[in-house]
Amino acid sequence: KVEIDSFSHYRIYPSKGRLFVRGDSKVFRFAGHKTERLFLQRKNPRKIAWTVLYRRMHKKGLAEEVTKKRTRKTVKHQRGIVGADIAAIAARRNQSTQVRTAARADAIAKAKAAKKEKEAKKAKPVARPSGPAPKISKQQMKGGKSGR
Amino acid sequence: MLGLKGTMTIIDNSGALIAECVNVLKAKSTPGVGTVGDEIVVVIKRARPISHNAALSNIVKVRRGDVHRAVIVRTKKEVMRPDGRYIRFDDNAAVLLNKKKELLATRVNGVVSSDLRMKGWGKIASLAPKVSRYYFRPRSI
Repeated sequence: KVEIDSFSHYRIYPSKGRLFVRGDSKVFRFAGHKTERLFLQRKNPRKIAWTVLYRRMHKKGLAEEVTKKRTRKTVKHQRGIVGADIAAIAARRNQSTQVRTAARADAIAKAKAAKKEKEAKKAKPVARPSGPAPKISKQQMKGGKSGR
Repeated sequence: MLGLKGTMTIIDNSGALIAECVNVLKAKSTPGVGTVGDEIVVVIKRARPISHNAALSNIVKVRRGDVHRAVIVRTKKEVMRPDGRYIRFDDNAAVLLNKKKELLATRVNGVVSSDLRMKGWGKIASLAPKVSRYYFRPRSI
């Protein structure tokens, strides 16, 4: 198993390097004398220019990593709804404009005709006396107590 | 690498704090330097004061000036593992034994090196709360 150096984050191949267990039982791995010394001198790896931590912090050499990123495109699936299955939706969508305008004209004509009919019907019941109902007070309707 | 006069902390609950190496018990007459897993003879240099209650309990409490055997469990000098890895601790530490190679105390504090298991001190390794487990065991074919 290839380990990682605790200081520089380099790889430590098997049989290389040292393992240091500190008094608080924390384990540190060192690739070699260099990292071990720096660690024991309590240097901050973020300030040592050749360590991976420094490079990450200062964003060095990340161009290769960035190109790897691929945006995930979500694929949209067409689904039919309860009222209209996929075939109906597709048919609707694929109607040419001519067909559409023709359909619209039809609809308009129909609506107009319907409207005319309605108006004709309305005219008749107006003749009927449908005046407001005689005003009966609520009390009378409910049969309330006589006012005495 | 603990030799004559080398001091180490005792990390079990026997009551001793610091011990000093007096002799390293090895079969050959190699210069008396002990490493992890070696049995040594120690003198207790500093021990925890024994309260009256403690004297009643089963744990053998050691006093200053006692001579005991011990086994080294941590060294500041790095120890090589069979896979070529080295492991090193921040201090030297040992655990007290009696002459029959049994532990004097009942509990062990802190990390111990898993080289102990290699050298036959499996019991101590199993008692320890944490064993540095970066230890390559050769697989049998």
